[in-house]
Formats: sequence, structure tokens, C-alpha cells
Amino acid sequence: MSTAVASDPALAANPTVEVEGVSKWFKQKVAVSEVTCSFGPGITGLLGPNGAGKTTLLRMLTGLLLPSGGRVRVLGRAPRDAVDVYRSIGLVPEENAVYPRYTGLEFVALAGKLTGIADPERKARDALEEVDLLDAAGRPVGGYSKGMRQRAKVAAALIHDPEILVLDEPLNGTDPIQRAHLIALFQRLAGNGRTVIVSSHVLQEVERMTDRVLAIVDGKLAAAGDITAIRRAMTDIPYRVVVSADEPRSLARAMLDIEVVNGVTLEDRRIQVETSDLAALGSELPGLAKALGIRITGFKPADESLESVFRYLVRKR
Amino acid sequence: MNRAITISGMTVRQVLGLRRFIGLGALTAAPAGIFLLASGQASVDSLVEIFTGLSIGVFYSVAVPVVALIMAASALGDERRDATLSFIVLRPIPRSAIAGAKLAGALATAYGLAGLGAFALGVLMAVRSSDWGYVLPMLVGTLIATATYVALFLPLGYVTERATLIGLAFVFIWETAIAGTIPGLATTSPWRIGFSAFLDLAPDAVGREVPDFALGSLEPGVGGSLLKMALLLGISTLVTGWILRRRDLT
Repeated sequence: MSTAVASDPALAANPTVEVEGVSKWFKQKVAVSEVTCSFGPGITGLLGPNGAGKTTLLRMLTGLLLPSGGRVRVLGRAPRDAVDVYRSIGLVPEENAVYPRYTGLEFVALAGKLTGIADPERKARDALEEVDLLDAAGRPVGGYSKGMRQRAKVAAALIHDPEILVLDEPLNGTDPIQRAHLIALFQRLAGNGRTVIVSSHVLQEVERMTDRVLAIVDGKLAAAGDITAIRRAMTDIPYRVVVSADEPRSLARAMLDIEVVNGVTLEDRRIQVETSDLAALGSELPGLAKALGIRITGFKPADESLESVFRYLVRKR
Repeated sequence: MNRAITISGMTVRQVLGLRRFIGLGALTAAPAGIFLLASGQASVDSLVEIFTGLSIGVFYSVAVPVVALIMAASALGDERRDATLSFIVLRPIPRSAIAGAKLAGALATAYGLAGLGAFALGVLMAVRSSDWGYVLPMLVGTLIATATYVALFLPLGYVTERATLIGLAFVFIWETAIAGTIPGLATTSPWRIGFSAFLDLAPDAVGREVPDFALGSLEPGVGGSLLKMALLLGISTLVTGWILRRRDLT
């Protein structure tokens, strides 16, 4: 592909959630357009700018919205037609969906009661402890800060130990310590075989959690798979590489003769190289340096971060 | 079953805040208060006249529908608006059971308030007239009227944000102005269905004070009223359950 991505990376190996050609439109507005993807054990980041269609897609996964076209299967069943599937789903909605008059303990225990688990009060305490909110368990949720409400929602989603966790912007309003705590929790759950689907428009958050991403732009699946692989598949967008050497000025001048090098700039004794073929540059550069008697001390792609990849994807649209 | 009871309990707690309790409680208690003030030196005949006038003009036609409207429209509508609906619907509970539990919760709350007003008015009338035959008919008639309104307004509250406005238009334009002047339409009026049950059970003296517009073409009859109430509750549960299954839930 150029910037388009093959369909395979969008499909998980052992899918628990399958999305086939799903579209959703509200009157004349297309929110999601023919998305095909699947999710399996581990964390998958669902990325996209605000209004890209992430929340709409997540709502279709959980059965809150009915697809206008295509179909969604959760553990092989359509959520709307088989409500038992909700024993296996935990949702953290984006909205401030809490009952303000309930205490944190009541709110989380209520989720357990509605799911039909045994001993919901004890499990509510366990879930609140998981999200580090046990100290505030006796206070009304209405008096919680936004970050505390987020954690209460996460606890409510976890109380029945679901196989699939759908988290819509779960880190909104949390402070850095809480964020790190929640990310570690999600990673632990994913490590235990849970399917964790996390949507976010904050790329660094997703980057800290997982390598597997699905990028949604304008309601369409713009890219899927491993972040590095997605970037390397974008062959029509030049790579930026930072090269360090003991004689950067000489090396930079010589690099201009390499066919795959489009441009070179020197900043703080580091060479910023723009190349159309990262692999070719990687194989030619050591020979060139050796011929010049220059020692290369660093070679690092500068735009394989999620942010760079995502910026390219959004710009392409 | 336990989960349905949990949902009903949540509904009661959710729709009945302190301000609503005070405001709507005052509305349902108003007829009893007026009766207390107006019946000071009244004869037995006048008592029946005052009681019947207040029952029809304030209690059944205003207090009961307003209380039932607010409670029923809030039961699902509030959750849809504040996005807590997902908390209930994404559970392993059949949608018709959720609908039934919501209906039961809204009815319990609305009848808790309207029933207290009915009880107060009935007891005051019983004390003043020395006839305790008013209390039970008031409670039964109020239950039927309240349940019928709740059955109508629960799905309405979910499908539109203007449920209260539409409900008030139904009560004060359709029921009062239209069904009140066209006798054949009385059967579309929930408070008249409840009132017909009340009349069937109440002492005969009440029947003599009832104006034509109050019953229209309806005959006093508790059996028919109960049947209509049960039918509407069943239809409401099915329709609301269908909506929860087949419509977007946000």
C-alpha cells in the first residue's frame, strides 16, 4: 500500500469482537463508513480525532447503537439479540454516566447486582480497590472529581470480571498518577487474556498502552495494526531519520549523493535525513561512513511515533 | 427477578428527589387542604358536593396526571438524557424486563404520592361525613388512573425530550377540552377510567353530584377500568421493551 493499509492488520488472530462492513449514519451524516475490523485478547487502541466516529463504533460494538449497515458480533452473537453476552462486556462510556446520589460503593455494587454476580458489595470493594478509590467509597459520586468518576466507572465496568472491556476515553480527567495506575491495570487485564478496546484522541496515552491501533478518520478505518508497520507501509511519505556521527558535517554532505536521500539538514551536530527508502538508506550508510572514515554513533527513525503516523493519516484525508 | 426489583428501586430513587417530593406532594395534598378549609360548617349534602368537585376538578384531572406524567416521563427519559441508560441496558436482562421494572418503579413512585393525596382526601371526607366508604374507592380509582397514565407516559418519556410538554397538552387539551366535550372520547381519558372505578365503588351520593363531562360515555365500573389499565400496562411494557431492543439507545 501507499498510505492505505491492507485489510489483514485490522483483523485480530482470535477475535472476540468482529465488525463486518459496519456503517452508521444519522439522517444525512455518515458517522462510520463500512468499517471491517476485529478485536482479540490484548489491548487495541482506537484512535481518531474528535468526531472521527470512534464513540459511534464503540457504541455499535456494545449494542447501544444499531448499525445502519453491516454487522457486529461479540463472542459470536449480536449483542442486541443475545443479552447474555453482557455478562462478558464491561463498558466505560465517555459521558459522565453516573448516578450522583449513590455512593461510590453503591454505584459499583449496583453494576454487580444488575449483572447478577454473587456478593456484589464485596466485589465492589475489590473493584474500587483496583482503581484506588476505596477511600472515597462512602462518598456520593456526585461529589467526586472527574478523575474519580472515571475510576468509579472503570470499577463498575470491572466488577463482573468481563472478558471484553470497552473503554471510551477512560483516562479523561485523570491526573498523571491515576493515569499510570489505570494504564497498568488495563495492561494487566490484557495480559490475563482480556480483550481491551481503548479509544482515545490522546496519542501518547495509547502509545503507552499498546502497539496495536486502529485509526479512524472521517468515519473510515484509515490504518490498522502495529504502529511501526503502519508507518513503514506509508511508502509515499518520506521518512525522517536522525543520524549521529563524530563528523556530522562531512557525513551530511556525502549523504546527499545517496539516491534514496531526498534532503539533509544539520542541527546540533545531528543529521536530519529525509529518505524515500529507509531500508536502502540503512544498508548504504555504513559503507559510506566507512569509506569516509567516519564513525556513526546513532541511527534513529524520527517519525515512527504514533503521533507522527497519526498526523500523516489525518493529513492524507 | 432480583435484578428487575433492583431496577425498580433505582427508578424510585432516581425520579423522586426532595424537591419533586415536596412539590408534587403539595399538589396531591392540595385537594385535601382545600376540602379542609371549605368544608368547615357544610352540611352532608354540601360535603359530597365539595368532595366530588375537588375530586374531579383538581385531584383526578390535574394532580394525578401531572404526578404520573413527571414520574413516568423521567423514569427512562432522564437516563437517556444524562447518558446513564447504558448502565442499565448493557446488562444480561431482557429489555422487556427492564421496561416492566421501569414501569413498576415509576408507578410505585407516582402512586406513592397520588395515593397519599387520595387517602388524605378520602379520610377527611370520611371523618366529616362519618362514612368510611370513600377511602378505598379513592385509593382504587387513583391507582387505576395513575397506572394508566404511567403506561402512556413511560415510552413517551423515552422517545421524546418534549414528553412533559406533550403530556400536558394531552391532559389539558385533549382530555379536558376535547374529551370533556365529546362524550364518546371519554374512554381515551385515563383519569376518567380511574374515576369510573371510583364511582362504581363510592357511596351513591357521589354519583348524583357528577357532571356529564366527567364520565362522558363511560359507565361506572371497576372491572372494565381494571381491564383497561391492565391492557395498557401490558402494551406499554411490550412497546417500551421493543423500543429498547430496536432503537438506538443514546
